[in-house]
Amino acid sequence: MDHHQISEGVDDESEVFSERFLCCVCLDLLYKPIVLSCGHISCFWCVHKSMSGEQQSHCPLCRHPYTHFPTICQMLHCLLLKLYPLAYNRRELQILEQEKEMDLFSPQFDVQAWSSQANQVSNILADSVCEGLCTNMEKTVSNSFIQNHGTVISKPTDCENYEAMENVTDQVKNGLLRQQQSGSSKQISVADVLCAACKELLFRPVALNCGHVYCESCIVNQDEQMLRCQVCQSFHPIGFPKVCLDLCNFLDEHFPKEYALRRDVVQLEHVNLKNRKHVNPTACESKTSEEGEKLSSWSFHRGAGCDYCGMYPIIGDRYQCQDCSERIGFDLCGDCYNTNSKLPGRFNQQHTAEHRFERKCTNIICGPVRLEDDSVTLLMAHISGGLEEYDRSREVPHATFANGEDEDEQDGSEPSSLPSSI
Amino acid sequence: MASVNQDNIPGATGTAPAKKSQAPAKTADSQSVLKRLQSELMALMMGGDSGISAFPEEDNIFCWKGTINGSKDTVFEGTQYKLSLSFPNDYPFKPPKVKFETLCFHPNVDVRGHICLDILQDKWSSAYDVRTILLSIQSLLGEPNTSSPLNPQAAQLWGNQEDYRKMVEKLYKSPNA
Repeated sequence: MDHHQISEGVDDESEVFSERFLCCVCLDLLYKPIVLSCGHISCFWCVHKSMSGEQQSHCPLCRHPYTHFPTICQMLHCLLLKLYPLAYNRRELQILEQEKEMDLFSPQFDVQAWSSQANQVSNILADSVCEGLCTNMEKTVSNSFIQNHGTVISKPTDCENYEAMENVTDQVKNGLLRQQQSGSSKQISVADVLCAACKELLFRPVALNCGHVYCESCIVNQDEQMLRCQVCQSFHPIGFPKVCLDLCNFLDEHFPKEYALRRDVVQLEHVNLKNRKHVNPTACESKTSEEGEKLSSWSFHRGAGCDYCGMYPIIGDRYQCQDCSERIGFDLCGDCYNTNSKLPGRFNQQHTAEHRFERKCTNIICGPVRLEDDSVTLLMAHISGGLEEYDRSREVPHATFANGEDEDEQDGSEPSSLPSSI
Repeated sequence: MASVNQDNIPGATGTAPAKKSQAPAKTADSQSVLKRLQSELMALMMGGDSGISAFPEEDNIFCWKGTINGSKDTVFEGTQYKLSLSFPNDYPFKPPKVKFETLCFHPNVDVRGHICLDILQDKWSSAYDVRTILLSIQSLLGEPNTSSPLNPQAAQLWGNQEDYRKMVEKLYKSPNA
């Protein structure tokens, strides 16, 4: 990245991790990674705390605007755990400590289930003869079997876990030795990094808001509707996600042969598809701004987010669970409340279908107002009678999707763009 | 979900239930701030950037002193400025307070050292760090925004680089003159 001089993070146990898995916010190994729609990765808490509870949020690295808090990318989570078991477990303990103090918990995963699933897939893959890949695959699969027995760790609080950790430590040390000799890590296999749709090695990976990862070419946006995840059926809120370059480069580096093969295949497919109508990303973008037209003013729930789709802050109706006792609470936006989806909460809440909801009223209505001098100001009206004027003409394009012409202004902002005085 | 950073939202209203308005435990927060600042310090010391430097004050890692050298081929060439940086408990989600300690004659710096720079205010990003802040201020020195100055006198004089250079030198040698 532009400003990190650390070429590699160094762990206490001298486990070295690649700079591309360094979180730009906490400057440590990514933990429970989230891929934003611009393709940049950050930790669960780093993303959540970087988000604005009162307007559109922006990627810390590229300022790409987004409105929904994405779900953790479980594939990356498991990948990092396999790649850097020592450092990742250190991070887990560290974050758990912080979570205990905050009394707020991030979602817990069953890594074992995930790994065995990956193994099943890899078995199937290995069985089906796929030419040149096959021998290579079998090697890696058998490797990942050995790894899985040692590396799977469910919760750091189990005392069993410490034994497991010791096992891991030994294994990793051996692994590291082997690595140093062979020059490259053999710990992970193609089965750990498969596309959710084509079940092959991810090529130019993109992550949806739900955290599932696809090849860019596997996401087909039929009849220009909102993107929808084929695995969990949840909608991807805004536009077409960008390729996660850090993961993309990692795959290219780690599986050079397989990746080159995938490149050839995808490019061939692309040529074949060219004659058919392929929806291009720009179509989605124009749609979102259209949708925004309706939101010239809206009721808006400062600091409250939807636990299904991740919209944060909630714009429009908000339903709050009356029975969830977690400090973070459990809320749904109007759309998710009406679709009755059954996804888990975003903060490990113990929410069940029996819980009762209450529709929350907001006393804030928001809308952009054009002033005499043609500058735009965000007006926040408290229904109780007070009128609060926020002087944030500079922020309006972020706060609203209503103003089409303002959109351009912010799109130009790049991470490298020089700061300017105000 | 509801914001965990309630206390950072200006004028937060009663939309959130009271149980959520508690500020997160200070210890957990400052632990992670401490960690991040230590990483930054490491990176700064290893990085070897010329023209900028920063180091925490003796007993408080939340307060740093930094220095910036005026860039070559600008009116500030040959001068060095001391700055103070003070980090909030929710850093890096909120920017540090940065001030010039050395008098700096610049359109976007006032006499008390306050700096008008967007990335230290509304354009702050949690991916910025001490290094990018200092580099940004260094580049601000040579490329001021004269349209909305904190120091109108400096803004006016900016057009005449020769006189400006003399003024910078004069004030740098004897700040009280």
